[in-house]
Amino acid sequence: MSDEKKKLTTAEILALARKKKSEGGSAEAPSSEAGASGESSPADSESKPAAAPKSTADILAAARAQGGGKKESGDEPKPAAPKSTADILAAARKQGGGAKPSPAAGGAPKSTADILAAARAQKAAAAGSSPSPAKAAPKGKAPAKPAEAGDLPALKDMVAAVTEAKKSGAPVRPKVTPGKPVAGKPKLPKKAEKTTRRGFWGIFAAATITPFAFAWASVSAIAGLWALGVARFMMPNMVLELPSRFKVGPTSDFPPGTVSEKFKASRGIWIVNTDQYDGRGMIYALASVCTHLGCTPNWLEGEQKFKCPCHGSGFYITGINFEGPAPRPLERVGIELAPDGLLEVDKSVKFQEELGQWVDPKSYELA
Amino acid sequence: MEPHPDLTISVIRGLGWLYLLMSLLNICWTFRSHKHDGYYNRMFGIDHLPKSMFWAIYSALLLVLAAVHLVFSADASSFLLRLPSWFKVAADTVIANPISFFCLSLVIFIAIIALRKWWVQPTVAWILFNLSVLFLAVSMTDYDFRQIVGKPDNVPIVGMLYLVGFTTWLYFYKANDNDERIAEGRPLAEKELSDQVLVWPDLVYSEMICMILVTSLLIVWGVALQAPLEEPASAVKTPNPSKAPWYFLGLQEMLVYYDPWMAGVVLPSVILVGLMAIPYIDFNTKGNGYYTFDERKFAIITFLFGFLPLWVGMIVLGTFIRGPNWNMFGLYEYWDVHKLEVLNNVNLSEYFWHGLGQPLPKPDAEAPGLSQVLTILSREWLGILLTLAYLFVLPPLMAVTVFKKFYVKMGFVRYMVLANLVLLMASLPLKMVLRWVFRLKYIVAIPEWFFNI
Repeated sequence: MSDEKKKLTTAEILALARKKKSEGGSAEAPSSEAGASGESSPADSESKPAAAPKSTADILAAARAQGGGKKESGDEPKPAAPKSTADILAAARKQGGGAKPSPAAGGAPKSTADILAAARAQKAAAAGSSPSPAKAAPKGKAPAKPAEAGDLPALKDMVAAVTEAKKSGAPVRPKVTPGKPVAGKPKLPKKAEKTTRRGFWGIFAAATITPFAFAWASVSAIAGLWALGVARFMMPNMVLELPSRFKVGPTSDFPPGTVSEKFKASRGIWIVNTDQYDGRGMIYALASVCTHLGCTPNWLEGEQKFKCPCHGSGFYITGINFEGPAPRPLERVGIELAPDGLLEVDKSVKFQEELGQWVDPKSYELA
Repeated sequence: MEPHPDLTISVIRGLGWLYLLMSLLNICWTFRSHKHDGYYNRMFGIDHLPKSMFWAIYSALLLVLAAVHLVFSADASSFLLRLPSWFKVAADTVIANPISFFCLSLVIFIAIIALRKWWVQPTVAWILFNLSVLFLAVSMTDYDFRQIVGKPDNVPIVGMLYLVGFTTWLYFYKANDNDERIAEGRPLAEKELSDQVLVWPDLVYSEMICMILVTSLLIVWGVALQAPLEEPASAVKTPNPSKAPWYFLGLQEMLVYYDPWMAGVVLPSVILVGLMAIPYIDFNTKGNGYYTFDERKFAIITFLFGFLPLWVGMIVLGTFIRGPNWNMFGLYEYWDVHKLEVLNNVNLSEYFWHGLGQPLPKPDAEAPGLSQVLTILSREWLGILLTLAYLFVLPPLMAVTVFKKFYVKMGFVRYMVLANLVLLMASLPLKMVLRWVFRLKYIVAIPEWFFNI
């Protein structure tokens, strides 16, 4: 029910738009050629009283009936909604067409082409034309979609027809009553083969030209692009981490009793050479992260200690905590002598004194 | 030319303007004093001497001081009005030591409570205010003090201290008044001197004036003091000292004494939840809608203890006194990165086992998990026992002794919540004192599990 109402509204809007266009003298409303009857009367006067659910069919029937010149108002038989379109159309065509061959209630799919063909035929015969609304094309499923939703060649044809009509001096829409389009009286025949070409282009045109479809298509397209853009952030254009294994130089670069701050800024480690931990001279790498809250301590050469500026934790040169709130020693990272004689630090492993891991030979290199 | 001059011409000029402002304020106070303060019957051989005379003389002295500062144009180093170095040394000695600093803040806190009848008198309060401004002004003649207090970061904190002082004064002033009224059986000030006013125009006009004043103040501030921007951040270079925003300096100070999970998670949560719990714990309906101290002494003293020494005091400590390497520096002391402070500290378990002459039990990395756990627990058994006793034995103990009345009045659940909140609040100063006096680092120290108390 609401669906039909919606459709009706769309149709109305389309009709209004078309009316405006044609009043502006534009020949861009090809579908207006579909109607053949020279006479048209406001459809709404008859159709409005009809009950809402039936109205599309009613309007069509009434319009066609009138278009045929018989002046039969909407008293035509109005069967139940599903059947009505085809029936009404058939009836209308019979009445309106007079001499013209009836489409014989051809199924919905055929009718667009049929109607168009009929329109063209009529055009050629008598240049008198009357506007026909989009819904004259009973596409069954989507009456809201206008006749131009047909395949492209048909569209072209229609435009050509309009131009011709103009040339021949006949007004494109002679007696349009404002507000309501009137269904034309399709003259059928030929070109039934067009139906086979409605596949892709038909759907494409239907999807792109109808305002609703167009709007939704644009929204989905934009949303899709946006989603792709967001997904792009998942793959940032950067190296996430420096390689965790790196060479720091030969053993001779780190004389006994020194703390090298050379790699603190770039790698966050100190290279220490001292014999204070267990009496053996050894080189090890300490991570420059305070074990209290993760600040970066400073090496104070004069005091021979690491001192954290955040809460005052202090560590000996061995990395053992002795003052401030730090609960455990600084962490060592892996170090080894590479075959080429350079010390290689491996930051991917760490050794914690309180877990007894500093005895691991991977955590130091004897100097 | 000295690179860090104590005095420059611009400092002297600025002080001149400050003294001028002080003089003007005191001239106003002289008029007020003339109106309200009355006379000495006989003083210095003069009968009927108005008390405002002293304020007039003081204002005139300030005016002379301002004039001297403003017209001085010789070499700044020859200016004589400056802080004597003996005062600087004495003040630094008191302030740079955590024990004396904390004791000082406690003394001030107790004085605020005990001397409340005296110091809230307008004249006394005005004298205290004058003294504090004079102290600031004279201290400004010291280079290091100027560097700390005049830092754009820290200027609002000085202002905030004055606001804290004013609101504390306002509370005690009104509470004293009401306490006297209650004692004498007179109606409360809020009832008798009902100061109800109309929203329009009184309130709206007041708000508008405040709005304009605050806006102009912010504009002047924004123009006069540059935003305290620092060098670009670097993951491997921590500024020294590295300070939290001023309102978190209390937390940062807690972090010096506690493990991050305790000082950063547990205690702040307890503070927040505890503040929310106050309406449910405190069912004393007295003081509802009026100022009073005598009718709710415990509540107010507890709150003010948490707020003044433990929060505002820690902000002052963190802002003005903590320097490079988070060492404590006096107000007039140069921030020397290499200042040496003996801060060695030892865990309770180390004290215990070394006291017994035994090595610390060390969990064997090869041993099964359960035996490691048992080793660690047996290493720390004393601290664990003490902590559990503090939290679970002390509340019932207090219920039958100091908090007996509370326990009877409040019932079990309310009392237990209150007792635990009070104990947790007290845990910070207790831990501080233990650290300073016994060099105690952690009561329970289990770095293997990141669990330290």
